[in-house]
Amino acid sequence: MWQFPWRYRESIAIVLGIVIIGFVLQLTIGEFDFFLLQIPVNIVLGIAIVILLVILSFTRKSAFYQWFSGVPFSVTIISALLVLGLVMGLTPQVMKVNPHDHDLFTILGFTRVTTSWPFVLVYFLALLSLGGLIVRRLIAFRKQDYAFYLNHIGLWVFLFAAGMGAADIRRYVMHVQEGEVEWRVYSDNGDVLELPIAIQLNDFDMEVYTPKLAIIDRETGVPQPENKPDYYQIDLKRPESTLFNWDIIVKDYIHDAIRNSDSTYQEVHMPGASPAALITTKNKLTGEEIQGWVCSGNSSQLYMVLPLDSQYCVVMTQPEPKRFLSDINIFTKDEQNAHTILEVNKSYKMGDWTIYQYGYDNQAGRMSTYSSMELVYDPWLYPVYAGIILLSAGSICLLWSGNKKRKEKNDLE
Amino acid sequence: MTWNEYLWFAIPAVLCWVGAGSLIYKFRKSWIIDGLMIAGIIIFAAFIVGLWIGQERPPLRTIGETRLWYSFFLAAVGYITYRHWKYNWLLSFSCLVACVFVCINIFKPEIHSTNLMPALQSYWFVPHVTVYILSYAMLGAATIASFIQLVNLKKDRLDNNLYNLMDNVVYIGFGFLILGMLMGAVWAKEAWGHYWSWDPKETWAFITSAGYLIYIHMRLQKQHYIKFTLWMLPVSFILLMITWIGVNYLPAAQNSVHVYSN
Ligand code: HEM
Repeated sequence: MWQFPWRYRESIAIVLGIVIIGFVLQLTIGEFDFFLLQIPVNIVLGIAIVILLVILSFTRKSAFYQWFSGVPFSVTIISALLVLGLVMGLTPQVMKVNPHDHDLFTILGFTRVTTSWPFVLVYFLALLSLGGLIVRRLIAFRKQDYAFYLNHIGLWVFLFAAGMGAADIRRYVMHVQEGEVEWRVYSDNGDVLELPIAIQLNDFDMEVYTPKLAIIDRETGVPQPENKPDYYQIDLKRPESTLFNWDIIVKDYIHDAIRNSDSTYQEVHMPGASPAALITTKNKLTGEEIQGWVCSGNSSQLYMVLPLDSQYCVVMTQPEPKRFLSDINIFTKDEQNAHTILEVNKSYKMGDWTIYQYGYDNQAGRMSTYSSMELVYDPWLYPVYAGIILLSAGSICLLWSGNKKRKEKNDLE
Repeated sequence: MTWNEYLWFAIPAVLCWVGAGSLIYKFRKSWIIDGLMIAGIIIFAAFIVGLWIGQERPPLRTIGETRLWYSFFLAAVGYITYRHWKYNWLLSFSCLVACVFVCINIFKPEIHSTNLMPALQSYWFVPHVTVYILSYAMLGAATIASFIQLVNLKKDRLDNNLYNLMDNVVYIGFGFLILGMLMGAVWAKEAWGHYWSWDPKETWAFITSAGYLIYIHMRLQKQHYIKFTLWMLPVSFILLMITWIGVNYLPAAQNSVHVYSN
């Protein structure tokens, strides 16, 4: 051991040593504080790494450099990341460590692996080793190695930008009342802040799927049959269905319904409307037929059930959201403004800020008087996307050429 | 066009694909296989286009609709990959899984109206999942090959051709796997605000790819640790299965955005 060329023994010893140093740091000074890396520290660090790699490249013929940028060391690093990943994947991870938790797991950083010293150090080691490899291979540039460059450079850019960028990302939640303008946001810790960006909510709207019908026990409210309840989602193309011991036919369905004084329903398009259906039921055992309205109700209208006998009744479930959208105006301190409609999967980007539809008053549903938006600030997004694009090009090369064009001999063999 | 016409397209497409997937072992004549595959793909695509026009929106909203795309892409991408690599089993497998999805839509029609929650209504949904299915197929095949090679190793008769096949298939499968992850990352950015939030499913995807990376890189030094390297494939495949199915059952995943079942 420790005789060049170094191979797995030495690699494992060194990576283990670094992990142990990580645990010692974790125990003595607590978890790694990502905010230390905020701009401009991460940029300076990035430049320093690149300069270091360039200087080191003059020693690339040395046995040390060959080892540092070679297969055994990189396999060991990847294995260490795998093991730390397993810790992360097998134990519940928390956003914020409770200061009163003093069990061994918490102290060693296992409840928040990504900010624990061992993980951060190994991540950093991977950046250095991978960087050393890229520099070595770039100096001995060969066109036919394009797949290698795409994969490794792409991964390096991604790891660097995602890791270092984590320090600069800010995410806030803003709750805006309909018709009002809001500057204040909540951070993850629940602190209230004012941002250089404001949002006016013109309108919040929601579309829902058709609701389902079910038969419940009138006393316990349990859907029937108890172990495996039947549900039927209203579909006017297939109005007939069977629930429990009853055949059900939907005679009429109103998506936006308001109750009349005689307990029938009519179509009215307004926020307080709720789905309602006129159904007939037929008991499969007795043949008894019943007809009546059911309605899922909301905070401004009562729900309506159809009793079948002394024990059971038909109910309509609360409809599930299909899409929800906020019609908003955005203003910034530097006098920019924009109008957009925000929806899940349809965010809006303004400079380094991205605005997402986040939530609404779940109790009120469609009648929610506010809309919650998430505002994410991420100045590192474009470098991350550059890494993603390079890496996807590399993956396509992998699946297209496999390892067909494997060069005859690896320079380390 | 509506779902009522589905059978008229589904049955001919299934016949074409089943034909191609099974005749491939009998006939050397490639034009029969090519003809059947392309015919099946066109027939199926015609239904998707028809449904798109008939519903006046892209059919991407219900689970049943997304299943249409799985079938289509599995057949199409499977066929293209087969043309490139000439692995017969690859074509059969893609056809089989494509047909399974076609048949689920025939025999479980109530699934057409299953509601897709808003976050899933994205054009990333279909490619993200299809690419993963293809990746699982490849990596599954590589696992079987690794067992055969382990037996060969016992008899001290390592098969170089098998090694070539394994490495190729791992590269293809890993390529699909990374593509799936990257699409997932871009989608997550669009839907949830961050491209990588160490959600349990993401963590396990990271673990899985680390497993395959170990295999890929250890294979670069062919004479060393042969047995360990071969065992990395079954081990990684177990990790892959945990990522795919197992995560839902882990205590660590109680709040995962990937646990949809309710
Ligand atoms: C998406 C991730 C990755 C992929 C797809 C990938 C793929 C590959 C491939 C196909 C080769 C052989 C190519 C050739 O020699 O021309 C290779 C070589 C290598 N890779 Fe990776 N790799 C990845 C990540 C990494 C990481 C994270 C490390 C290090 C921490 C690494 C270190 C190496 C080393 C040391 C070699 C040997 C090349 C040499 O010594 O010249 N790779 N990789």
